[in-house]
Amino acid sequence: MNLIDDDTLQAYVDGELDAADAARIDRALAHDDVLARRVQQARRLRSQLQAAFNPVLDEPVPDRLAALLRSEPAPLPAPVALPASRPGSGFGHARRGSRRRWFVPSAAVAASVAVLAVAIWWHAGNDLVRVHDGQQFAAGSLFDALEQGLASAPDPRSAVAIGLTFRAADGHICRTFVRRAEPAMAGLACRGESGWALPVISTAVEPANGQLRQAASALPPDVEAAVDARLRGEVFDAHQERAARDAGWR
Amino acid sequence: MSALYASRTAKMYAREGIGPFKRIGRECLDPNEAVREGLISMLPRLRRLARALAGQVADADDLVQIVLERALARAAQWRPDAALDKWVYAIARNAWRDELRARGRSQNVFAPEEAGASASDGSHVRLAQQMDVAAAMETLPPDHREVIALVLIEGMSYSEAAELLDVPVGTVTSRLARARAALQSHLGKDT
Repeated sequence: MNLIDDDTLQAYVDGELDAADAARIDRALAHDDVLARRVQQARRLRSQLQAAFNPVLDEPVPDRLAALLRSEPAPLPAPVALPASRPGSGFGHARRGSRRRWFVPSAAVAASVAVLAVAIWWHAGNDLVRVHDGQQFAAGSLFDALEQGLASAPDPRSAVAIGLTFRAADGHICRTFVRRAEPAMAGLACRGESGWALPVISTAVEPANGQLRQAASALPPDVEAAVDARLRGEVFDAHQERAARDAGWR
Repeated sequence: MSALYASRTAKMYAREGIGPFKRIGRECLDPNEAVREGLISMLPRLRRLARALAGQVADADDLVQIVLERALARAAQWRPDAALDKWVYAIARNAWRDELRARGRSQNVFAPEEAGASASDGSHVRLAQQMDVAAAMETLPPDHREVIALVLIEGMSYSEAAELLDVPVGTVTSRLARARAALQSHLGKDT
């Protein structure tokens, strides 16, 4: 199709198109400068808005607001200067919530069994995961996304969205990721000597389909549980994330 | 809930956009406490939304205060299986609408604040750009400002914004397109 109307273009920029339609626009962009400029303009506006309002997230919270939220007997810590959330973070909890309801401890056991099967399927089916010494590692475009991608500056062309980055209890840097294109998957990757090990991968991800796509970053419960098990300090903010990348994820 | 846990999860939620709803539902049975905890983790985002809607810092924080008070007062009405932030955002949106009605829409255009105008070096350019964007937002009619704030700043999907505003998705997309065009023309050559 040659003609791309404003609504479609807007939906493309806002991440509301399904994978097939988005790919169609991707192709059209490659040889249509006018279209590329329109996309660039719309993205620019979004980033201007984010740049104008995201600093509010880092502002100290005024006492009169924090005071309203202190519980009576023991005051809660005032939520001062939380890190900026990444663009696109936000809603979609109802669906996440319904998934969470399944989560009971035994689900973790079931998940680890499933992972084995999934790994075999992946190994045979595509090149995103390699197996070395009985351990799974990210490969191909998944490796690239983990190595280069920043949650604070998502690459809209990449099928892999990076979520949290943090230093695990054992000192390695770990990152969560969600891939919505086929094969849809989510997981936790931890950087070691031999690359990005994948202690948990899950296919419990809704692939991008239909007209509207769910906003970025829902994590399946098994991946969340794996994060909870490793996270000791705090997740990286945008600055720490970039610094960690620049330092080679050491 | 330990202070470390609270702060760590608040940061994670602020980053990931995942509300602590289910977790809280399991951990504490008191709905007031659950709402309070949720509001703490949402507070930065709530302030950002209010700033986008109301413009000036003082007006925006007044709005946040009203929202917090209403949410705490109505905590018993929140059902733990509903996403807390949608519930709170709906309160925020209604509170803002009430505010606009009380004031009369016409006078809702402010000159941008002088906050930090004395900042030196490169940061004043950035600040000036931020103020331009904020000023451009304030020229938009409330309907349009809402969709920009919810979709482009808060990162809601079209359908989530439509649900919150109680309008069809098509209305969200057409308001968004018109609001974008208006902002782009206001910001002129910068866009």
